[in-house]
Amino acid sequence: MGEDTDTRKINHSFLRDHNYVTEGIARAAAMQASPHCPANVPQPSSEEVTSGADIISTVEFNHTGELLATGDKGGRVVIFQREPESKNEPYNQGEYNVYSTFQSHEPEFDYLKSLEIEEKINKIKWLPQQNAAHSLLSTNDKTIKLWKITERDKRPEGYNLKDEEGKLKDLSTVTSLQVPVLKPMDLMVEVTPRRIFANGHTYHVNSISVNSDCETYMSADDLRINLWHLAITDRSFNIVDIKPANMEDLTEVITASEFHPHHCNLFVYSSSKGSLRLCDMRASALCDKHSKLYEEPEDPSNRSFFSEIISSVSDVKFSHSGRYMLTRDYLTVKVWDLNMETKPVETYQVHDYLRSKLCSLYENDCIFDKFECAWNGSDSVIMTGAYNNFFRMFDRNTKRDVTLEASRESSKPRAILKPRRVCVGGKRRKDDISVDSLDFTKKILHTAWHPTENIIAIAATNNLYIFQDKVNSEMH
Amino acid sequence: MEFKLEAHRIVSISLGKIYSARGQRGGLKLHKNLLVSLVLRSARQVYLSEPGCPPEPPPAPAGHPEEEPPPRTAAWAAEEPPLPPPPQDEAGRDCPGPRPRRCCCGENRGGCAGAPPPPHCPRKRSAGERGQAGSPLKKPRREEEEPPPLPPPPSPPCEQEDMETGNVASLISIFGSSFSGLLSKEPKGRRRPPLDGGEAAAGTAPAEAAAEPGQICCDEPVLRTLNPWSTAIVAF
Repeated sequence: MGEDTDTRKINHSFLRDHNYVTEGIARAAAMQASPHCPANVPQPSSEEVTSGADIISTVEFNHTGELLATGDKGGRVVIFQREPESKNEPYNQGEYNVYSTFQSHEPEFDYLKSLEIEEKINKIKWLPQQNAAHSLLSTNDKTIKLWKITERDKRPEGYNLKDEEGKLKDLSTVTSLQVPVLKPMDLMVEVTPRRIFANGHTYHVNSISVNSDCETYMSADDLRINLWHLAITDRSFNIVDIKPANMEDLTEVITASEFHPHHCNLFVYSSSKGSLRLCDMRASALCDKHSKLYEEPEDPSNRSFFSEIISSVSDVKFSHSGRYMLTRDYLTVKVWDLNMETKPVETYQVHDYLRSKLCSLYENDCIFDKFECAWNGSDSVIMTGAYNNFFRMFDRNTKRDVTLEASRESSKPRAILKPRRVCVGGKRRKDDISVDSLDFTKKILHTAWHPTENIIAIAATNNLYIFQDKVNSEMH
Repeated sequence: MEFKLEAHRIVSISLGKIYSARGQRGGLKLHKNLLVSLVLRSARQVYLSEPGCPPEPPPAPAGHPEEEPPPRTAAWAAEEPPLPPPPQDEAGRDCPGPRPRRCCCGENRGGCAGAPPPPHCPRKRSAGERGQAGSPLKKPRREEEEPPPLPPPPSPPCEQEDMETGNVASLISIFGSSFSGLLSKEPKGRRRPPLDGGEAAAGTAPAEAAAEPGQICCDEPVLRTLNPWSTAIVAF
């Protein structure tokens, strides 16, 4: 990050000087309050809210951080926009308000396979902005869609042949000609589907990633990765295929994938066995053979029935610099240096106290939860979610970490988040939570960090929390 | 010994997961089911390799005392040729075929406590019989077998029979009393909401994992793609 005035406020010992301030936006309520929503957008009914259709399934900032998109289980996408900073209060950073809501995917039925296709939005990725419009890709299990988001704040008035409502005028009343003029109107945000990339995947799509060339993107399912051109919907290239000839020999699946942020020929994909494969598209058309394989040998002392499950990588993210990769498995986050394949350079324990509870977590299916991870803008801090609506941040430089909670009770607007602690036996301080009283139904799977500033978006089931870094006022 | 119990418990849980995965909206999740089957496999390996004193098996069929253990093991042996068959398995080898058949054979003739209600057994048996070229040997044996007590009877020395006996009981409790759609070759149409212990859509969860998701088929090649435990599920 540069040395401009903004970053001067954000130093790297954030855990000492900085406190995260709640903005506490509840998404369900926000959807109804949006002034920009076009009239025909379906609003959640009360049944929907309770049925889980508004459980947030993905969160993503755009490249400037001005827009924040969330997708939910009901196939809806809600976009938040950051209000411009007020000139009167230069330190009162802009809040995020609902900008647009639309139904991206609907439930479908595959008649050939007698299968229902869920409308849940698995991933959203923004395209770099190339004109006044914003574009994003959203995907469910099978179909990827390119959406264009445009603003309309003027409309033409004074047509000769039509009246204000658009009805044809009686020609006998037209006595003179006028030139229509553009008059300002209330801002309207229009979202249109520009491309639909269908029928590319047999298995469930788990990730999409836009290439730095801004022309292509890839989509990955459990066994294959396809390369698409953003303008071409009837064709895609298969670049990775790990489906064995005999499905009986299946031992691993693809769990996540991402293009390198700068090198348009490089991408990485993670597997359920805990390995990462870096592939170079220049090497061959089909990148089944990796260029680099990143794998850490298993610690034999930790072996259990569930070793394989907990080593499965649930998310992989390149650092902004492109030098490192961040992976999340069930109990840890790891930082890998692209130049070192034998082991990660850093490993952080997210909730190691769960290691002795793996059998119960297997029983209640929590062990299959797929947590995401995120870098901050300067790649100095990494963040990931956990249970009980806790999320964790690790400062790579100071090696300090913090546990924070995203909940309405503990986050009044403008309140500073208090670090939380999980006690594992031994002495227990006030306000500590014991491992046994953790709520495993409250899980933070999806988090996002603003590309340049210390603003984070945390999805806690059906609520979205946005926290901003509050710099100590003494510094100014 | 506790490892054995733990492993057994994990196997039961895993089988339950595979079963309930069938009713899931959106089709089978390949990743999750792969992980579950890996756990299943390692738990089973632990169970089989652990020395222990599991309970005794049920008494051998009255008419064929020399056929220790009862034909139940045969089903497994047939499905797992690489595994060494139990020594007394000779006669049992004659009855390959899906597990429920064995279950019926061993336990349902004349009714069995807590087992699937008799109406389903004939169907299982006939389904099983379809699977093999008629072994007259089996019928008389079935007539004479005594139903072993349920829940899991005491098991024999640590071999694969152990696992089966105990597992049959847990399978029974998991799958309940309904086994409709066995070996059906037609894809099930609309997904039925999963009923408790209710109808299983043609034992296809692992099959779906093997083939394209959602594709329902019980063809032999597909069955072979599953590990033996999954085959049991398919049979159910």
